[in-house]
Amino acid sequence: MSTPDEAWSVSKLARAIKRQVEDGMEPVWVRGELVGVKRYPSGHWYFGLRDEAAKVDCTLWKGVASRLAAPLEEGQEVFALGTANVWEERTALRFNVTRVVAAAGIGAAAQAFERTKQALLTDGLLDPARKRPLPPFPLRIAVITSIAGAAVHDIITVATRRWPGVELFVVNSAVQGEAAPAELVAALRTVARLDAIDCCIVGRGGGAREDLAAFNDEAVCRAIAACPVPVISAVGHEVDVTLADLVADLRAATPSQAAEFALPDRQAVQARLLSLGSSLFGQGMSHVSSAQERLVRTRERMGSALLEQLRGTERRLLQLDGTLPRALERHARIPRERLARLEARLAPAMERPMARDRARLGRLAGQLDALSPLAVLGRGYAMARDDEGRLLRRRADFPSGTRFTLTVADGTIAARTEDA
Amino acid sequence: MTDTPTLGQDLSRLEEIVRRLEDDDLALEAALALFEEGVTRLKSAQGRLAVAEARVMQVLQDTEQSGALRLEPLDG
Repeated sequence: MSTPDEAWSVSKLARAIKRQVEDGMEPVWVRGELVGVKRYPSGHWYFGLRDEAAKVDCTLWKGVASRLAAPLEEGQEVFALGTANVWEERTALRFNVTRVVAAAGIGAAAQAFERTKQALLTDGLLDPARKRPLPPFPLRIAVITSIAGAAVHDIITVATRRWPGVELFVVNSAVQGEAAPAELVAALRTVARLDAIDCCIVGRGGGAREDLAAFNDEAVCRAIAACPVPVISAVGHEVDVTLADLVADLRAATPSQAAEFALPDRQAVQARLLSLGSSLFGQGMSHVSSAQERLVRTRERMGSALLEQLRGTERRLLQLDGTLPRALERHARIPRERLARLEARLAPAMERPMARDRARLGRLAGQLDALSPLAVLGRGYAMARDDEGRLLRRRADFPSGTRFTLTVADGTIAARTEDA
Repeated sequence: MTDTPTLGQDLSRLEEIVRRLEDDDLALEAALALFEEGVTRLKSAQGRLAVAEARVMQVLQDTEQSGALRLEPLDG
């Protein structure tokens, strides 16, 4: 409780009230009827906003007035965006309006939007679970847009940069105006008839909110949902999300972004393929060489075992020679001959599979040589790539301390640039 | 759809092949077969990467009752 000794000045009270009202007040949209509309010679407008129970005095300054689509009219139903201000001199509250939109127009469009959204929701078309993933390498892409617009050029430019071998199938359609919904639906049906299409981009460049109406059309949304391949929506606009965006499998903010989403980057794929190729080469060769070593070892072991056996038999024969009567010599000759025959048969039997493996190896090595990057590596060249797999080609790519990977014929080596 | 594998299929199979070849106990016969397949896949994938000519076509529909689709080159 304050006491008379601590009495505030009127100005202090006015300032306190002003602060109380204005601090932390965010701009707010208010719907109401215009009453007491007056335009002063200064260019400012004064009016009231009213509903059944209350009225608020409003100001609309000259700068805002110059941007009005139409003069304000008595009795008009409007949406007004503004903040509350207190005029200190009279401690009078004014709602300071910065935007005015006729309720009639906005109301109808917003209602239609909500109706369509509800219908799509009811049928499960907005369910995130039904969104299809894009194929990893969509190289045949349908593009639905106006061939007269900028969007088609943006998509072609980005797509051919990311994947020079891309195939684009452009289906022309109006993207705004009365004909747009029907043409978009027809275009989506055309895409369904094309062969082996991987995905479809539907979009247009930026435009005013009214220009995006076709992308809130129920038939268009249902046609997107029915498209047999994943659909990327690319309706260029900053804040508004269209219903087509919600139904599409993926939403891109602009046509260029849609092309970026759709296509892999060829350089990255090339780097991946190269590293797979050198791993394949390295792994394959290590299997073959270890098998070859095993073969050689086995052959040596078998050879010496056989030789040992022969020598043993020979020794025994010699001993027999000395101790047994001549009559037995005839029998002893038989195993000796059998052993010789056995040796003659064994050697080629062992040679044959080895020769076969060698021939296969030679053939594979030839095939590998035909793969140019590997052949080049095999001749002793090396490839330097950074962490992201980009090829480093020039001195300038190697500032001191750069970590990079050297790919040589049989694998990779982690490396770092030192001061020259 | 054609029967030739797509680039995506080639790449994922190649990764699988390299992974399996990392097993040192793999029989030589199996390793060679995998290696041969890997070389084929590598060639096929490189062939696809080498395609450098983009095709930009406009899809047109005949107005006749047939409604057949036609493709015409579109200048970007």
